[in-house]
Amino acid sequence: MRGPTIIKAEDDKTRQLNKNTLMAFSGEAGDTVQFAEFIQANVQLYSMRNDTELSPAAVANFVRGELARSLRSRSPYTVNLLLGGMDPTTEQPHLYWIDYLASLAPVPYAAHGYAQYYCLSLLDKHHNPNIDLEQGMKLLGMCTDELKRRLPIDYKGVLVKIITKDGVKEVDFDNDKIVRSA
Amino acid sequence: MPGFDFSNYNRNAALHARGVPLPKATSTGTTIVGCIYDNGVVIAADTRATSGPIVADKNCEKLHYIAPKIWCAGAGTAADTEFTTALISSNVELHSLSTGRDPRVITCMTMLKQHLFRYQGHIGAYLVVAGVDPTGVGLYTVHAHGSTDKLPYVTMGSGSLAAMSVFESMWQPDLNKEGAIALCSEAIKAGIFNDLGSGSNVDVCVIEKDKPTQLLRNYEKPNERGEKERNYRFPRGTTAWLNQKVISKEDMKKYVTIETLSGDDNLAAGEKMEVDV
Amino acid sequence: MGSPFDINGGACVAMVGKDCVAIACDLRLGMQALTISNNFPKIFNYAPSTYLGLTGLATDVNTVSDLFRYKVNMYRLREERHISPRPWPTCPVLAGINQTTGKPFICGFDSIGCIDFAKDFIVSGTASDQLFGTCEGLWEPDLGPEDLFETISQALLSAVDRDALSGWGAQVYIIEKDKVTQRLLKGRQD
Repeated sequence: MRGPTIIKAEDDKTRQLNKNTLMAFSGEAGDTVQFAEFIQANVQLYSMRNDTELSPAAVANFVRGELARSLRSRSPYTVNLLLGGMDPTTEQPHLYWIDYLASLAPVPYAAHGYAQYYCLSLLDKHHNPNIDLEQGMKLLGMCTDELKRRLPIDYKGVLVKIITKDGVKEVDFDNDKIVRSA
Repeated sequence: MPGFDFSNYNRNAALHARGVPLPKATSTGTTIVGCIYDNGVVIAADTRATSGPIVADKNCEKLHYIAPKIWCAGAGTAADTEFTTALISSNVELHSLSTGRDPRVITCMTMLKQHLFRYQGHIGAYLVVAGVDPTGVGLYTVHAHGSTDKLPYVTMGSGSLAAMSVFESMWQPDLNKEGAIALCSEAIKAGIFNDLGSGSNVDVCVIEKDKPTQLLRNYEKPNERGEKERNYRFPRGTTAWLNQKVISKEDMKKYVTIETLSGDDNLAAGEKMEVDV
Repeated sequence: MGSPFDINGGACVAMVGKDCVAIACDLRLGMQALTISNNFPKIFNYAPSTYLGLTGLATDVNTVSDLFRYKVNMYRLREERHISPRPWPTCPVLAGINQTTGKPFICGFDSIGCIDFAKDFIVSGTASDQLFGTCEGLWEPDLGPEDLFETISQALLSAVDRDALSGWGAQVYIIEKDKVTQRLLKGRQD
């Protein structure tokens, strides 16, 4: 986005950090990609040097550390992050919520920006700890429907990626569905 | 780089100008007094610490050790009185070690005023310095900006006016020890009851020539809380809880060796520093 | 934006009992009025029976707890012994039992490092005004571990129910000489 103009409708606002962690970002234009790719490069460098994949918890704490260091610098990164991953050893899924102040919280579901106000209540109601992929996608659909219904801007759809023990894959998502407001 | 660095001050001033409130520091809205008598000097303090309108500590200690026969009563910002007196105490001890003489009250007062003047009042320590040294009895006040006074009886802090009224009406020359203690205690009580920033108990310190210093902690307790007439304890099981985890020493012993040391403070291995006497 | 101390919310309290201490915190992490997480503990363990409660800006709760873990681990490696609860500037609420003397210990700090050694209770966080009131009313000397649990729990729950920025569950640690019990309290979720 540049002022009121949409520059690109299908911009990928995620970066894969290693085989089983993915980071989604939002915030100040420029800061976001710069910070995400800096983290991506360092996580990959670590994996090459030590011949091990970092767990999602380790990556999340590394990201938080870098963001916290930047927060007290002359020009802090203004980036909000969601970090999802499968722990390769325990095969447990993890999701971390990190804001631009470098607050880190492990959460079952999360959002940033205005989406928080529309989606968290839906997720509070419908999410349960044993939710499967099919139900999860259905719940995600409810969230995007709500955003289409209530947000005064057209955000041009979402990009959906799934992280499993086999890695990260993009899945098709129907962004053309028309939602009538109530 | 020579000179002072005020960059943090400038940052805080800029933040404050943008409406960020300054973090609350505990301040000792306080009554402290001191009074000399024929053979020594008495200082006294109340024991209330406040943070804004909240009483943060009902029984804090405002009488600080400088040297065995020099003590200090502190008003103003609690952290500043605490750390300034600790710093000067260290320097006074080093000084007396290097000169081989007992420390003097006037030396300590000079070190305090030079330290505080250098910081232009930003260190909010308002002190009453008292003690006995080879030159005699000393009693001084030191303000945060570095000014000092030498008087036979002194008061400081928000309750200083109330306390001074007691001194002005009841002080007389050639007091004895008991008279001085009673007068100081009375002055502190005037602060406790008439100044909102002061309260709770009276602490007294008596420094006398050729006698060990006495710290009379809670010399008077005019504000003891009344006993509860009934039992308001919650019956066990009142609080609902969802799950619990118990970590016991027995469990830990599976993984590490645990040895229990004796409960004697002095036997705590390696915890005490060895000091040359 | 307001004070950094009030952005994320949170409350913490510690109390002394007979041969035991308890420390408790709420579980909310918020951004102003929006709740992000209802499982954000603010009490951290640094040695057997040494616990530290941190409230304030969440990023600094994270930073200080991480930094302390690092410092404490380095201390343990260098000195080959655990730290004992004793004052250490920068931490808001500290509770524990001295392993050599068996004495219960709590203390609190203001943001510039003035230490408050209390023999009864220490409070901190956005609900500190309320906690002062509830603790003043409910605390009494020489409570055993079970009674201390009820007292600290009721003091915390009552206080956070009157603070919009704290609550959403609570966690309590009861620390005895050779046992620590952690309990998750049932608290209001509103």
